[in-house]
Amino acid sequence: MPAYKLTYFNGRGTAEIVRLVFAAAGISYEDVRLEQDKWPELKPKTPMGQVPILEVDGTMLCQSNSIARYVAKQAGLAGKTPMEQARVDMVMDVMDDMGKKGNAVFWEKDEETKAEKKKEYEETFLPQFFTCVNKLVGDSGHFVGDELTLADITYFNTTNLVGNYFKLPNMEEFSGLKKVTEHVTSNPGIAKWLKERPETPF
Amino acid sequence: MPTYKLTCFNVRGRAELIRLLFAAGEIPYEDVRIEWDKWPELKPISDTPMGQIPTLEVDGQVICQSMAIARFVAGKAGLLGKTNMDQARADMLLDGGMDVGKLFTEMVMEKDASKKAEKKKEFGEKHLPPFLALYEGFAGDNGHFVGDSLTWSDIGFFNMMDFITAEYPGALDGYCKLNKVIDNVKSNPGVAKWLKERPVTNH
Repeated sequence: MPAYKLTYFNGRGTAEIVRLVFAAAGISYEDVRLEQDKWPELKPKTPMGQVPILEVDGTMLCQSNSIARYVAKQAGLAGKTPMEQARVDMVMDVMDDMGKKGNAVFWEKDEETKAEKKKEYEETFLPQFFTCVNKLVGDSGHFVGDELTLADITYFNTTNLVGNYFKLPNMEEFSGLKKVTEHVTSNPGIAKWLKERPETPF
Repeated sequence: MPTYKLTCFNVRGRAELIRLLFAAGEIPYEDVRIEWDKWPELKPISDTPMGQIPTLEVDGQVICQSMAIARFVAGKAGLLGKTNMDQARADMLLDGGMDVGKLFTEMVMEKDASKKAEKKKEFGEKHLPPFLALYEGFAGDNGHFVGDSLTWSDIGFFNMMDFITAEYPGALDGYCKLNKVIDNVKSNPGVAKWLKERPVTNH
């Protein structure tokens, strides 16, 4: 079994998807949380000057989605066939678009523009977005196939993170997405992690 | 043999990496190109998961998201990387490339001429040189980013620099290993044929 070491700041942020995949897979790993004053020393040693990074028996990976996909593949959670894997990737990228749009609103410097963009994101974008994404869920209550994959976990994580700052629409309306959330939160590894994970501001 | 139908606008844009991968893998596909002004009427009747193109239809199943499609085609072409770790490193390098590619695209799409000139200067001086220096470090002496043979991370780098060098012609001067990557990609027979034959478009 390789030794896995994940390094990020002390928060959920872009590392949380990786932690959730480790949890779902029941794979143990070292969850290193950097204090801000330790970052300048580590930064030049990382592949692209960023975290999260994953060290696997001495090799360093960066880019959170690439790391998440790697761990999911190691755990058999990335889809069983090339087409299933493509569908998992598609859902990851779709959710990424939603997260990035939310991020852009969050980081908007002008207060008035920010308020306008926040309103548009919450009242127009998110309802339309979730309506589309809801249609991607299969009868099994999973995005891909009939078992938990990285697609389900990504949906749950991004929505969870976005919902911490933005007002989500009434998610009860989206029956497919509801089922996905239930599958994710009832996965034993994930349920345990959600109960135990540190409370952090981001 | 599955049938592949790629639908995108009549540009290189987000679809070109996919087209290059089909070419490198010598995989036949239908290359459907939609003119911008036809999209509003086609969009409601098109089979798109999220109302966007490009999409790839494979024996009736439709997927969207250009990088998801590209990774799928790279897999079919045997260009993903040999091990899970190789594949992860290829993914990581492509993701890093896209971070910079996004800034480049923002500059190209800027409509205000003086803002564009500012962004062009900033990209050329602040973002591009460190990116190229970093990737020169990632490239092997053999002119491959991962392992010892062509992967989609080489092709992705080539494609991105194809766009970037149109705006910054000498950008790759002096980067021995990156130039080897470019040569390796261009000399792949399928890619060479596509580069000669592909439609010439502004983007």
